[in-house]
Amino acid sequence: MREYQVCTNCVMDTTDSKITFDDKGVCDHCNTYYDKILPNWHPNDKGQAELDKIVEGIKKEGKGKDFDCIIGMSGGIDSSYLLYLAVEKLGLRPLVFHVDAGWNSQIAVNNIERIVDKLKLDLYTHVINWEEMKDLQLAFFKSGVPHIDTPQDHAFFATMYDFASKHNIKHILTGGNYSTECVRNPMEWMYFQSDSIQLKDIHKKYGKKKLKEFPVTNILWHKVYLPYFKGIKVYRPLDFMPYHKEDAKKELQEKFGWQPYPQKHFESRFTKFYESYWLYERFGYDVRKVQFSSLILTNQMTREEALEELKKLPYDKENIHHEFEFIADKLEISIEELQSYLNAPLKTYKDYKSQENVYKYGAKVMRALGLEKGGKR
Amino acid sequence: MIGIINYGLGNVQAFANIYKNLNLNYQLVDNEEDILKCSKLVFPGVGHFDHAMTLFNNSGLKNVIEQKVLINKTPIIGICVGMQMLAKSSDEGVLPGLGWIDGEVKKFSTENLTHKSKLPQMGWNTIQHIGNHPIFNNISSDSRFYFLHSYYFKCTSESNVLCTTNYGVNYHSAVFKDNIYGVQFHPEKSHQNGVQLLKNFANL
Amino acid sequence: MLQSRIIPCLLIHNKGLVKTVKFKDAKYVGDPLNAVKIYNEKEADELIVLDIDASVEKNEPDYKLIERLALQCRMPLCYGGGIKSVEQALKIFSLGVEKIALSSAAIENPNLITQLADKVGKQSVVVVIDAKKKLLSSKYEVYMHNGKKSTGLNAVDWAKKAEDLGAGEIVINSIDNDGIMTGYDLNLIDKIREVTNIPLTVLGGAGCYEDFSNLIRKYQVLGLAAGSFFVFKGKYRAVLINYPNLEEKLSILKV
Repeated sequence: MREYQVCTNCVMDTTDSKITFDDKGVCDHCNTYYDKILPNWHPNDKGQAELDKIVEGIKKEGKGKDFDCIIGMSGGIDSSYLLYLAVEKLGLRPLVFHVDAGWNSQIAVNNIERIVDKLKLDLYTHVINWEEMKDLQLAFFKSGVPHIDTPQDHAFFATMYDFASKHNIKHILTGGNYSTECVRNPMEWMYFQSDSIQLKDIHKKYGKKKLKEFPVTNILWHKVYLPYFKGIKVYRPLDFMPYHKEDAKKELQEKFGWQPYPQKHFESRFTKFYESYWLYERFGYDVRKVQFSSLILTNQMTREEALEELKKLPYDKENIHHEFEFIADKLEISIEELQSYLNAPLKTYKDYKSQENVYKYGAKVMRALGLEKGGKR
Repeated sequence: MIGIINYGLGNVQAFANIYKNLNLNYQLVDNEEDILKCSKLVFPGVGHFDHAMTLFNNSGLKNVIEQKVLINKTPIIGICVGMQMLAKSSDEGVLPGLGWIDGEVKKFSTENLTHKSKLPQMGWNTIQHIGNHPIFNNISSDSRFYFLHSYYFKCTSESNVLCTTNYGVNYHSAVFKDNIYGVQFHPEKSHQNGVQLLKNFANL
Repeated sequence: MLQSRIIPCLLIHNKGLVKTVKFKDAKYVGDPLNAVKIYNEKEADELIVLDIDASVEKNEPDYKLIERLALQCRMPLCYGGGIKSVEQALKIFSLGVEKIALSSAAIENPNLITQLADKVGKQSVVVVIDAKKKLLSSKYEVYMHNGKKSTGLNAVDWAKKAEDLGAGEIVINSIDNDGIMTGYDLNLIDKIREVTNIPLTVLGGAGCYEDFSNLIRKYQVLGLAAGSFFVFKGKYRAVLINYPNLEEKLSILKV
């Protein structure tokens, strides 16, 4: 059993079993950030100039079309802010793309509505077949792996890329950003959600319903075919400028009456349950450590503040049983059944088929070509 | 323990759901033993006054509830027809009410109502407070509640009135006397305002 | 003073939520439980849930689903679809539902309205009338089984009869305006309001808040139901559950 150690710089610790520390006690997440990400990240004039060029290109190609790019919108802070930025600061004409996986919270739906209405944008929603989604989610629960939010994430990417491909939209903008996400969830906590081999294997072993409508993507398709053969490009505009989470929240609240969430990713009731309770109680993985560490590295939070917050439970102990009941009810299983999944033996992604090697090899290639910095490990 | 009196009328499940969500101890009660254990009682009621009184009189619960309410001073809240049953009598029927709060139940006059479907009053309307009572904590005047009734409670004394509502006339929409409360609207179907009222009642 | 009720109407088909246009082309819009939960959090005045398969396929009502939906509602819930007997209705009431809607069953067995009203009180008995304008006529005909079967009944006559039989509320649903979101069928509404005295709820065609305000100006108090309007957004009819917040609602009601 490895001795407990926490990074002296951020708050990642040995609950990430692959973590390594240098002689100063600084973890590899931090060092990757300082060595690989920071030198290549320009949230300043240089970045702005690069972004202006990109935007010009998008506008030019989009002339005469109904919209010039597509922006995935969950109702969360990053995608909400991105939309606002894209329209009011960059002058783009995005189609807003939302995937309804059956777990939208009222706040999320309200936030999407407000922004779409105020910015006078067109919205497109893809509704995932709930019966299939439910079956797939239950399969993931039964598999015992940590990454049980894969169905939602996978569906989101698959539908958006599929839509872009079908409608020949060359430019996808996402709210992904280094500012709040420079430290990524360890693979051991959240394995690649785009790995369709893993998804299909888990479904084959534990699913009951055939996945007829559920959208399945493929890492090679969306990281190689789409960009290099169909010319579909994905940009992260929030990386090209200073992006300060609390300021962004305030601005959206003032301008749109946007309602904040108690924690990141809480626009989906399932994700809220998964990240704040399930991962924590079943595996001991506290995703707040990842999120706070990113904020520490980008000077939006101090290590002391983070450590203080981490002393509290990530969920409301008094009311969690209501959430537990809701999740069980929505999935149409008994509380006892859900409890049994909580207490079942722990499994990892390695217990099922996967394309891990493709990702490993692909990541090496991307890093060598300078196309990706940092990355997930 | 909050006892939701289950004598055959009213959406008892809805009250149970609300108290469950508030993490408060509650029970659907339909026998003497369980009623005796309650520290608060919820008294629902829908439909015809006589039908409700008959069911209640024949439920075998009347005596123990009267004892709890009138002697032990256990707080009780009558909902809709449950509130009307607290009166001495109702124009709707011939049976006497419980007479725990001095007043009579009258039928709405429709002369000031201009829309076509005058009775019953069905839908959301607002309340105006008369005075200040903890059962209405965090519920301001003009708060909306759901109503469904053709008859209303008319208190003999203004001192028993908690709030009024306008439906052609200003009538008494919530009443009380000591530990006995009555609301004409349905708090179990009035979203946050209703939940707040039921929470306040539990906290009395 | 009493305010008009603004009511989302949900259609259930194969356990999922659907939206139709003129009662055809059912489009899947998602999980009913989540939609009901969101409408509840948005504090909708009331909710109507109709199972459009039940009477066509002669199924028992899906009691488990009804119970789960009722659990989420802190506002009155009206449920309809496939209810043929007083026993079925009573069972549904016990699950936490306030009102039962009868449509095809009331036409096939009008006494059911009276039986149910006697048992639970008129206020809990709703008759839903699906009406379609007759060709080359100003009259409206009643349809059954989710718009598939014509009955030969005149909608106005049937509404009056339903009231006489003991219905506590009428929901008048325009098949022609279903899902088109360009306005209610004002002519149909006028005809039905003329002959009835019980609460009336209108459905079919709502596309903007002004549609509600117009009717409130004319009739002062009415039930204003909408399906597609509260589910779709924009020109691509993107699914996004929406409902006026309190401020917007008060401004619709203040006419």
